[in-house]
Amino acid sequence: MIAVHGSVLAQEIEIESPNIAYSAIYPILIVFGVALVGVLVEAFAPRPRRYVVQTVLAAAGLGLAFVGTVLVAGDLPETQNGLARGGIEAEGALAVDGPTLFIWGAILLLSFFSVLLFAERRLESGVTAFAGQAAALPGTEAEREASTRGLEHTEVFPLMLFAVGGMMLFPASNDLLTMFVALEVLSFPLYLLCGLARRRRLLSQEAAVKYFLLGAFASGFFLYGIALVYGYAGTVTLAGIDGAITNRVGGDGLLLAGIGLMAVGLLFKIGAAPFHAWTPDVYQGAPTAVTGFMAACTKVAAFGALLRVFYVAFGGAQWNWMPMMWIVAALTMGVGCVLTLTQTDVKRMLAYSSIAHAGFLLTGFVGVQAATRDSDDMTSLVAVMFYLLAYGFTTLGAFAVVTVVRDSSGEATHLSRWAGLGKQSPVLAGVFALFMLAFLGLPATSGFMAKWAVFTSAWAGDAQLLVIIAVLASVITAFVYIRVIVLMFFADPVGEGPTVAMPSVLTVVTIAAGVVVTVALGVAPQPVLDLAHQAGEFVR
Amino acid sequence: MSVVGLLFLLMGAMAVGSALLVVTTARLVHSALWLVVTLGALAGCYLLLGAEFVAWVQILIYVGAVVVLLLFALMLTRAPTGVQTGLTTGNRVVAAATAGVVGLVLVTVVVAGFGGARVSVDEESVGSATSMGDAIFRHWVLPFEVLSVLLLAALVGAIVLSRGRASSGEETP
Repeated sequence: MIAVHGSVLAQEIEIESPNIAYSAIYPILIVFGVALVGVLVEAFAPRPRRYVVQTVLAAAGLGLAFVGTVLVAGDLPETQNGLARGGIEAEGALAVDGPTLFIWGAILLLSFFSVLLFAERRLESGVTAFAGQAAALPGTEAEREASTRGLEHTEVFPLMLFAVGGMMLFPASNDLLTMFVALEVLSFPLYLLCGLARRRRLLSQEAAVKYFLLGAFASGFFLYGIALVYGYAGTVTLAGIDGAITNRVGGDGLLLAGIGLMAVGLLFKIGAAPFHAWTPDVYQGAPTAVTGFMAACTKVAAFGALLRVFYVAFGGAQWNWMPMMWIVAALTMGVGCVLTLTQTDVKRMLAYSSIAHAGFLLTGFVGVQAATRDSDDMTSLVAVMFYLLAYGFTTLGAFAVVTVVRDSSGEATHLSRWAGLGKQSPVLAGVFALFMLAFLGLPATSGFMAKWAVFTSAWAGDAQLLVIIAVLASVITAFVYIRVIVLMFFADPVGEGPTVAMPSVLTVVTIAAGVVVTVALGVAPQPVLDLAHQAGEFVR
Repeated sequence: MSVVGLLFLLMGAMAVGSALLVVTTARLVHSALWLVVTLGALAGCYLLLGAEFVAWVQILIYVGAVVVLLLFALMLTRAPTGVQTGLTTGNRVVAAATAGVVGLVLVTVVVAGFGGARVSVDEESVGSATSMGDAIFRHWVLPFEVLSVLLLAALVGAIVLSRGRASSGEETP
């Protein structure tokens, strides 16, 4: 009886295939596809060829995905009375709209240059900066053998592409479930990459374990927050949650707890205080190429997701989460600035500086300034997206500079070793000084335009007090950045002083890209601001 | 109370009771075996709710695969199988309180969010193979596929971190 029933069912049910517009989401598919090909290369290509194949594959894939993003951006339909462009794709899982595509473009460009840093081989005399054999315990015979045989892990390229794919999904997710999956996809490879440094392996492994444990903890908070919001709204789609906030009476406790817990997960990824404790240790321990990649790309992706969740889903409860974000922004700037002052290690200093920048970005995020039709006001979205692009290139360039200042034990990250760098290599020290000035926000650098954009939108969005705090914080951090510049140019080298290793063209191109973007966005920011402005608001 | 309701209560009590035993028993192997009872009782709950597909998947994957994997891990790592005294630490009170509060909040959420919802058990509306397939491979197809990418990334990472290469000159392609 059952069997007969089953066969009848099989004939009757017509399977509807999911409705997926590949023409809108193919940049993500390219990145994931290339990552999968990379895994196959690991399995089938002979070992000596893997490095070249993987590097070319990863760079080409990211370049292709960027071209795809530009093409997709070319024919986005207008919606919401011309306020937004784009649509909801992949059965409601992804929102491919202007801001998504801007963020995709930023992530793909930054990760393209990160691949070049990953592939740098000349600095470690012929091998990449990743561990030769991660499974070998530090200081053992197996490790020495791996290093004499010149082994290297080329798996880092597919892993990094998986992370990039997750980063692209994260800010594009249109429901909380997809967002959680994307968060895991972007985090997991990063945990692994952090532990794969060739030098100072214990520090690197400690960083990976710390990042993994705290990250898993933050993911737990995020998931619990999703559960609470689901209980409140009865749906996980962002538009549905927005509808529930507008229409539902009562149950605000659930919503507020949900928002708070989800904020913990997102603010952790951004590195905002008080969830910043992992940042310095992980930034210091991870291979510097990975640190640059994380500092630039993770921040872009996480801020994209934060903006989407809070503006689209929780926009109706703005007055409830605003005070919390106010405090977080002020605290983040305070912690970032004050602790930057006390650092003696370049990578830790850049880490705390990234915390301070997260605070500046949050200032733009808190002063919500929504778009109105036919106005050229600086909206929060435009300001934050511009800031992310500018900061991403500057910080990636700064970490690239860190990889070439070396002594006999690898990278010379202690600040005292940087004394007199200006005499040793005026060009490199000049470049680093430029990045420092951009962090500081000196006019004619991208940092100034970025801060100006964020502060303008926040001021217009009634966050004047926060802007004042931010300006004060900028003044405090100026001390640090100028101290580094003084140290490089006017201090005498200690002992032998640092040596500047000549990197291959890969690192040079990355540093050059950082310089070009930092100067270009400072001198002529208007095209990029226009681009961000054209992107419009999030689709709902 | 109907027979189904009574059975559901029994199954629920069984799941909670055996779950408590999982964390309180002093033998690791017993703990794994009590987990079989917990997961089996949960599968029973699903079955009573009309979600027969979820119930069988629960049996196949959790009871059949996860617990067996756990037992294999215990066996292969030569973990002590006898009575262990030092397993529960002084934190147990705090841990139990935290677990209790977390559970309480989740129950509150479910009641507050879906307390008024009524689903007829007689109709195969949720949890059947048809509705599950429809949900996973239509509406949630993208997150579902991305999850497989996540698993692949984790697998690659695990191999990178754990696999030592042969110390002789033999190269594996």
